[in-house]
Amino acid sequence: MSSIPVGKGIPVDHVVDNTAEHPGERAPLVLNMHEFNDVTTTVCRVAESRRVPMAWYVAFVFSLGLLGFLGFCIAYLFATGVGVWGLNNPVMWAFDITNFVFWVGIGHAGTLISAILFLFRQKWRTGINRFAEAMTIFAVICAGIFPGIHVGRVWVIYWVFPIPNQMEMWPQFRSPLLWDVFAVSTYFTVSLLFWYTGMVPDLATLRDRARGKIRQIGYGLFALGWRGSNRHWHRYERAYLLLAALSTPLVLSVHSVVSFDFAVSQLPGWHTTIFPPYFVAGAIFSGFAMVVTLAVPARELFGLKDLITLRHLDNMNKIILVTGSMVGYAYSIEFFIAWYSGAMYEKFAFLNRAFGQYWWAYFIMVSCNVITPQLFWFKRIRTSIWGMFILSLIVNIGMWFERFVIIVSSLANDFLPTSWDVFIPTWVDIGTMIGSFGLFMTLFLLFCRYLPMIAMAEVKAVMPEADPHHDDHASDAKDEEGGANS
Amino acid sequence: MSHAALDAGRFDLSSQNLTLGAPASLLSRVLVIIGVVLLIVSGMMAWGTDDLAMVSKSYLVSFMWILAISLGGLFFTFVQHLTHAGWSVAVRRPAEVLAANLAWIWIFFLPIVFMWLRGDLDALFIWADMEHLRAHNPEEADVVAKKEAYLNTGFFFTRAVAYFVTWAILGTFFYRMSLKQDSEGGSRITDLLQKVSAPAALLFGLTVTFAAFDWLMSLSPAWFSTIFGVYFFAGTCTAGFSAMILICVYIQRSGRMKGLITSEHYQDLGKLLFAFGMVFWAYIGFSQYMLIWYGNIPEETGWFLSRQVGDWSLLSLALLAGHFIIPFLCLISRWPKRYPLFLMVGAVWMIIFAWLDLYWLVMPVIPEDVYTATSYTEFADAHENASTHLSTPINWSLFLGMACCYFGITLGRLRRHPLLPERDPRLKESLSFENI
Repeated sequence: MSSIPVGKGIPVDHVVDNTAEHPGERAPLVLNMHEFNDVTTTVCRVAESRRVPMAWYVAFVFSLGLLGFLGFCIAYLFATGVGVWGLNNPVMWAFDITNFVFWVGIGHAGTLISAILFLFRQKWRTGINRFAEAMTIFAVICAGIFPGIHVGRVWVIYWVFPIPNQMEMWPQFRSPLLWDVFAVSTYFTVSLLFWYTGMVPDLATLRDRARGKIRQIGYGLFALGWRGSNRHWHRYERAYLLLAALSTPLVLSVHSVVSFDFAVSQLPGWHTTIFPPYFVAGAIFSGFAMVVTLAVPARELFGLKDLITLRHLDNMNKIILVTGSMVGYAYSIEFFIAWYSGAMYEKFAFLNRAFGQYWWAYFIMVSCNVITPQLFWFKRIRTSIWGMFILSLIVNIGMWFERFVIIVSSLANDFLPTSWDVFIPTWVDIGTMIGSFGLFMTLFLLFCRYLPMIAMAEVKAVMPEADPHHDDHASDAKDEEGGANS
Repeated sequence: MSHAALDAGRFDLSSQNLTLGAPASLLSRVLVIIGVVLLIVSGMMAWGTDDLAMVSKSYLVSFMWILAISLGGLFFTFVQHLTHAGWSVAVRRPAEVLAANLAWIWIFFLPIVFMWLRGDLDALFIWADMEHLRAHNPEEADVVAKKEAYLNTGFFFTRAVAYFVTWAILGTFFYRMSLKQDSEGGSRITDLLQKVSAPAALLFGLTVTFAAFDWLMSLSPAWFSTIFGVYFFAGTCTAGFSAMILICVYIQRSGRMKGLITSEHYQDLGKLLFAFGMVFWAYIGFSQYMLIWYGNIPEETGWFLSRQVGDWSLLSLALLAGHFIIPFLCLISRWPKRYPLFLMVGAVWMIIFAWLDLYWLVMPVIPEDVYTATSYTEFADAHENASTHLSTPINWSLFLGMACCYFGITLGRLRRHPLLPERDPRLKESLSFENI
């Protein structure tokens, strides 16, 4: 299927900027490709070439190093106990849960792109969905580590699952921490299925193109006998639609349940009704920032600029602006209602966040999440590679601090001033956090190297050549996109 | 008019097909007359009433309902521009007309201003007379006194003016510009509307939130919930999208827009109603209820407790079933959304439940003994006869009167101009789009 001869492509002379869209026409989502085979070659080249860019090796070795350090920190934690962290009474949750929420949030962009943007017929999603979904999987793996290692007696971690046992001992079903176990594991399972289902046709392409026996068998095993027949495609598309519909509630439910961890309590700063949608918006915000952070170097490094175009990046930056504004809305409403409630504890919790001992964290949070993303109102910034890269990093930092502020500032200064304390992270806290980036990056780099980083089959479907009437209108560029069935 | 880009043979874009005929004009007038008569009757029933609180709240319910419909139309309109949507051009005009109603909707707010001038505002908003509140319920007054900087009549009406001005400008702007494009053509206006839609979204979010705080949440002034604005926003989607579907079906039943609004468009409108008007509403409602129930803090639970005693428990459950579960099951499949008559029944159902939802938000009063009762059972027993007063005639005369006036005026406006933005550059995309 990779070399179907198609009609004459639109004559293009190496277009770089496709961000402008004249109403009535649709801007091209794939640039400088004259036929389907160009897409296949561009994407497969990464997985097939024997030599990868030096930068990949450097990044991989660095990530492996961090991963090793993560292993060391965890081993040290297991051997010594949770006391190696800076936790105290009352701050019994800090970096571990912050990292957990941070990583779960990062995962959200993948599901949003693959499910919700699919249902909204946002065709540009095809350029970025594959690796955003991959990111989801890896981020959830990173997230899963933290609740696992903070329980103290890690050897009985399986008790979080309701497994029948002769002690008749069950987890507390009324605890949102248990709901988390279900929410996150469902999320992981469905995301994995979605990712894999979407990848089957592309794996088959890699299999068909493979030269060596090992590669053929390797990709062939996972391509599940895909032959690209009409019936295959038909079923594939049904399955894809159904998975999208089933994943859509998950986009909302996972981070809602994570927000319940805090919001069902009575702690000021945690107990507030806007938490579920606010956490979801924040998760998508941070997730998209991470996609931009990774997409910018990846498209440079692997020559994917014609598939992940400036338009894709521009659109993602717009979503960052929208969700960042939602987060800003939630911050303001929380603050307003804390005053409006007339409850002294509510008011204190928020004033303490902004002006108390963690004022600097709050300051970082607001400036990174609300103030700097406003620069994305300007198209010049949205389409500037360096501009968006730096801003996306800032958002990542801001969103990590948001969780830190919510979790630690509310715990450290609760109702009883005599029990107040300060949380100071130890090197193990920091090492585990940084190490988790090593795990994430290692998995991501392996994915880039060995799997189809872009959904080739889906990208081809949004090219003008996929329109059955493409040839009829080859001379009339106006009719290229408009409707698929003119 | 030039429709060179369109395949003239396939789509009937004659003015005959694009404008409502004389029957619509008659219907529009009849509706307005019936509406005015009903409102006058309601006014007579209300005159000299000894329960001004009941009457004014009932009025507020129906006012918020027509407001929600209009805001839903505005939301739909600017979101289409914000996302550069192509599919929706054929059904955008009804939404624009609903949004344009925001230019005069403040007139229906005047009775509340009138109450203030008469010094009766505290019948509706108990915080408006703090001395009375203090004499009556000192505990609540202590809490409310802390919010006087926000909840005072001067600031309250200043904010109201700000909301109405913002909405009137936005609603009129999107409507007028779209009409202007009908004669001007080209893409200049589309570009302009796309630019404006992003700040419009910000203004919309803030005004809707604070209007919901002011006109709905502050009815129980001691109570607070950060998600409340989002909850009302979900209600505007329910009401607005339902109204759009009803208008589209009406237009086509009158033999207009033949072949222009297809089952594809109905399916998409149905999907939006399903996603925002039911599922999102339920998600927000659940988030609010679950967190307050679980946290179980007396300052917050009173609001729900007053809605789960006596008859109110039935209405609460009816809302759960009627606003979410039943329509969810009915509209989840593909065919009901593509079958205009079925979808119309769904839209009528949902628009009524949008009203009931507002009734449920506005009418209950948090009883004073909610803070003093020693147990839930004691409280529930004491209020087991609490009535929703849903069958009180004035509820229905106000609802029908307001609905007739609103849809009469809407229809009158709809009749004056083409039923779709006929020179929108994305019209072709909309007319030929299919759900694959």
